[in-house]
Amino acid sequence: MFARISYAFRETIASFRRNVTLSAAAILTSAVSLLLVGTTFLIQRAFDNLLVQWRGDVGMIVFVRPDVSEEQLSFIKQTLEAQPNVINVEKLDYLDRAASFEEAKRVFAGDRTTLSLLSVETIPSQFKVVPVTTDPTLVRGLADQYRNLPGVQGVALAEDEFEVISTMSDFVRSVTITMSLILLGVAVTLIWNTIRTAMVARRNEIEVMKLVGATNWFIRIPFILEGLIQGIFGAIVSCGGLWVLNRAWTSGVAGFKAGTGVSSLVVPGSYVSGVMIILLVVGALAGSIGSGIAASKFLDV
Amino acid sequence: MIRFENVTKMYGNDVAAIREASFDVPKGEFVFLVGPSGSGKSTLLRLMNRQERPERGTVWVAGANINELADSRVPYLRRGMGNVFQDYKLLLNKTVFENVAFSLQVIGRPKHVIRQQVPQVLELVGLADKEDRLPSQLSGGEQQRVSIARAFVNRPLILLADEPTGNLDPGTGEEIMSLLDAINRTGTTVVMATHDHRVVNAMRRRVIQLDRGVVVRDQERGVYE
Repeated sequence: MFARISYAFRETIASFRRNVTLSAAAILTSAVSLLLVGTTFLIQRAFDNLLVQWRGDVGMIVFVRPDVSEEQLSFIKQTLEAQPNVINVEKLDYLDRAASFEEAKRVFAGDRTTLSLLSVETIPSQFKVVPVTTDPTLVRGLADQYRNLPGVQGVALAEDEFEVISTMSDFVRSVTITMSLILLGVAVTLIWNTIRTAMVARRNEIEVMKLVGATNWFIRIPFILEGLIQGIFGAIVSCGGLWVLNRAWTSGVAGFKAGTGVSSLVVPGSYVSGVMIILLVVGALAGSIGSGIAASKFLDV
Repeated sequence: MIRFENVTKMYGNDVAAIREASFDVPKGEFVFLVGPSGSGKSTLLRLMNRQERPERGTVWVAGANINELADSRVPYLRRGMGNVFQDYKLLLNKTVFENVAFSLQVIGRPKHVIRQQVPQVLELVGLADKEDRLPSQLSGGEQQRVSIARAFVNRPLILLADEPTGNLDPGTGEEIMSLLDAINRTGTTVVMATHDHRVVNAMRRRVIQLDRGVVVRDQERGVYE
């Protein structure tokens, strides 16, 4: 068993050396496509940060003063629930101060100044309102009405703040996902072609191996390992690229003034680490699938 | 050891490479397959090592019906066979030792077995002093001896040789035939396809003659004709 494992590794390394140019091309293509996949995740997360308050078709947020009394709070709730023609009462959601503070941590992820001014005690709680009507004037009229209720600190409308960003987010997501899928396909094809070339170059050796009784798996494994390593190397390069990209992005965003909302676009390091793990898994899968198909298809060279 | 029962092998729908071939090769026999180019000699060898399957009839090798042998079992069948080719099929980037060791490596033999068996077989073929040479540094006869060493190192039950003297001068061809004869005397069944009437006539072993895929002669101690 040890002899077979060491043979497989030696052959993988030797084949890698023989096809340096093709292997490098496969690694770079994998790296570029995986970097795009990773960037898609980061862009999505950045937009999610901006839109986290408005998730679930929320069209209006009624902010409630931190010092609101129980009576005032229940009056606001009753007033909202009294408008079933404009508001989806079943989806009416109340975020208390603790929940609102957790949400604020994401909204102001890159704006430490604003974040430092907030606390569970000082942050307003909020009602998330999902409108049932598509008529924006009705919602706007209702918002003006709620602004004057006792205990209400303010009312924000999705239409005013994030309509454009939401549309842009959808567009950017579609484009980046499509491009990364195409590039991932290109990477798998290139890995497939590298392995095919390696197998054709070694057809005499493969023929001899088969005639002396090597099993198909024994012949295949070094080639599959080669593809797997190409995929993983590509993923490692893309992880490095993603780290550099995110650092540049974070420091760029930090240049904006506090309170402009741009600070929400900062993606935390823990999320980036998670994306890197996904890239490593996707890279390994792309490499082994591409090489596995080639190693099976071209065994009769 | 090998039995063909009414075997027909077609290439395409209407070209029969082998037609209704039937014969037995007992253990330890030396058999020549003779006939002109395209008569089906190489196809017979390819049927024996399961590079091809017959359309009709049955091929038995070492007790296994190779028509019914699962693909996953074919490597194990081949471990009991050695193959020698006219063009040697040596790996040009490996030394003599490595070429012979290769056939043991790929079937997972441990290093100590390889270190023990390869020098023994190189001694047998007379290349003990050339184990570090590359194939390009050897003559044609020496390259064929490496090929025979690689085929025999695993002590196979059967050795299939396809025109092993085809690229060699008569003197070197005789040396190769002596080697195959010595291997046959160890109990290995040898089946050799050849055009070379000199070696057939000199050895006077069993001859199976083919003409357009048909066995036209099967003679003990035969000559080429």
